[in-house]
Amino acid sequence: MKTIRILLSCILTGAILIFGIKPALAFCGFYVAKADSSLYNQASQVIIARDEQRTVLTMSNDYQGEVKDFAMVVPVPVVLKEEQVHIGESKILERLDGFSAPRLVEYFDEDPCQPQYMMEDRARQSVALPQSAPMAKKAEAELGVTIEEQFSVGEYDILILSAKESDGLETWLIQNDYKIPQGAKELLQPYIKQNLKFFVAKVNLEEFDTNGFEKLRPISIAFESPKFMLPIRLGMMNANGDQDLLVYLLSPKGKVELTNYRTVKMPSDRDIPQFIKEDFKDFYTAMFQKTYEEENKQVAFLEYAWDMGSCDPCSAEPLNQEELKQAGVFWLDSNNFNNRWGGSNVFITRLHVRYSRDKFPEDLKFQSTSDRNLFQGRYVIRHPYEGEFSCKAGKEYKKSVLDRQESEAKILANLTGWKLKDIRDRINFVEAEPIQWWENLWN
Amino acid sequence: MLLKDARITQIIFLGLFLLLGVSTRDWTIQSNLILVVMSSCLITQWILSSVVEYSKLREEDSFTNLSSKLNILITPKVLTSLRSALITSLGLCLLLRSNNPQTMAIAGCFAISSKFLFRHHNKHFFNPANFGIIAALTLTNDAWVSPGQWGTDWWYILLFLGLGGVVLKQVGRWDTSIAFLLSYGGLEAARNFWLGWSWDVWQHQFMSGSLLLFALFMLTDPRSIPNSIKGRWIWSMAIAFSTFILQHYFYLSTAIFWSLFIVSPMTMLLDMVWNAPRFNWKAVQWTIDN
Repeated sequence: MKTIRILLSCILTGAILIFGIKPALAFCGFYVAKADSSLYNQASQVIIARDEQRTVLTMSNDYQGEVKDFAMVVPVPVVLKEEQVHIGESKILERLDGFSAPRLVEYFDEDPCQPQYMMEDRARQSVALPQSAPMAKKAEAELGVTIEEQFSVGEYDILILSAKESDGLETWLIQNDYKIPQGAKELLQPYIKQNLKFFVAKVNLEEFDTNGFEKLRPISIAFESPKFMLPIRLGMMNANGDQDLLVYLLSPKGKVELTNYRTVKMPSDRDIPQFIKEDFKDFYTAMFQKTYEEENKQVAFLEYAWDMGSCDPCSAEPLNQEELKQAGVFWLDSNNFNNRWGGSNVFITRLHVRYSRDKFPEDLKFQSTSDRNLFQGRYVIRHPYEGEFSCKAGKEYKKSVLDRQESEAKILANLTGWKLKDIRDRINFVEAEPIQWWENLWN
Repeated sequence: MLLKDARITQIIFLGLFLLLGVSTRDWTIQSNLILVVMSSCLITQWILSSVVEYSKLREEDSFTNLSSKLNILITPKVLTSLRSALITSLGLCLLLRSNNPQTMAIAGCFAISSKFLFRHHNKHFFNPANFGIIAALTLTNDAWVSPGQWGTDWWYILLFLGLGGVVLKQVGRWDTSIAFLLSYGGLEAARNFWLGWSWDVWQHQFMSGSLLLFALFMLTDPRSIPNSIKGRWIWSMAIAFSTFILQHYFYLSTAIFWSLFIVSPMTMLLDMVWNAPRFNWKAVQWTIDN
């Protein structure tokens, strides 16, 4: 009887935990509009290079609106001085993206009638890579807002603010023409209470025009803090629905994982039909969406975990020391590029987080581990041999190709949720004659 | 009946969690590492409990020949103690992560050895698996724990609560889990309220599978925690408080394990203040049999 009571109370507690508390309404971005404009940041990219408590954080997003309207507010753990802020080049994000992106590899079958002398791996390198789409009035003192630092770096005018009350900060931002989404106050409050500062940047149009920049360059900040986290809640203020975030984590130790959400590997090393060569982007997007839904939309996906000194197969050349420095890797000097295990001193983890307000209530918290197991999103297409067959083994080979094509179709349907019939229609099945049972008897 | 020994129930449940973790949560633990942990725990337990039995017999001076010495190795007392070692090894497999067999072996050996080394009035006060985890985290540089590994799926939460309830009913230590969860949940709720986060943040923290597994299966080891109910309440609350501090002011992702480690020696003090009969696996079995 007692057991039943305990079980019942457990189930009841569970039910209250799950259903009793309704999530608050959705919000949105890292980035805040300075005026009304269609500014939805659907894909942000962030590089975090971290060793011990030292961090270099590089932020970039695919900001689509008018440059004059751009502004961003990011909670930061410490007051940053001018020297701690650096404007980098978007190219470094493209390089990291290209190096770590999920890859398609292709293999060509050998002629089954020719003896094979060596097991040469004829893997050709990837064709398509889904590259991610690349802030007088009341006085400050009265509002409890302090401008801790004020400076310009590159095309940005930067302010480091500290605030006592979220009301004051909100008023200050509004008075200074930053268009704050409604409800921002509630979201700013917890950061103020945790004694975080606010990194506020807008574009200096004069500087931007003089230098002829085409798009906004990423901002890097360097600081020392025991907090290894990324604030995403503010980021949910100016976007609709789900947002994609790619985080490239660089560590001297090994893989980085989330501590308050699960980190799940993307399905990898699957054989898929040949036609995906032309549709790799669609394939990956569909597979990502399906896997994301299957995991109940509340996990971070691991897309790549690799030593920066090598790649196999390479979707792009590994980054050289200069590029790694641009990415924020500060612990390198020419003497210690290689570590004692023979690998390089930099390990990259690529996490893909698709988040929405209801499934990701907390900011992302990370930890670096010493896990140096390699992982990559790798998908394989195998081209059948297309020449003439001069032997009997050719017939058996054709049958095996037919079976393989059938299994590839099923794998693809399973990964993407596409209809098996549609997939079959697009596959160029080989014509295989049936092998009669007596054929192998009197060879 | 075998199942009447709470240790067997615990072994079955922990084994099931390990199977679920490896098959559905894509954990990185490899089968060879599971073998290393198990063998290091079992061998250490076998040797050390045999040594203890041997020294007892020598005091009594009741044996003379080699065969009676060797018989110690297969006495029922020595062999049944292996059940506890198996629980410890399953606990380590569920929580500790490393790719190095040596690190896992160190964790296993230290975990079991702690039971024989740190004793007060014939009772060990460190949770063996927790001691093994702390040993691996401090003595090696390639061990880690993954607090996010279970996620926050309701299915797992109910499974842990249900099966945890069964074991706790058997050993009679549910008060410890309740005290911990109430005080830790309370502290988190207060912080959440002070910060002004919405309640789904608290819900998300509280639904962590790792937190519940810790509260229901690790915190409740009847052999190492205080004997009296009052003692256990204070002990659990101390762990909840230090977890809260280490997590939010020192940003330690391994806060729960460090807290249990730091607070464990308090058991001695609490047992001195509040006297209560010591937990005995056999006593439980006897009670159930009758």
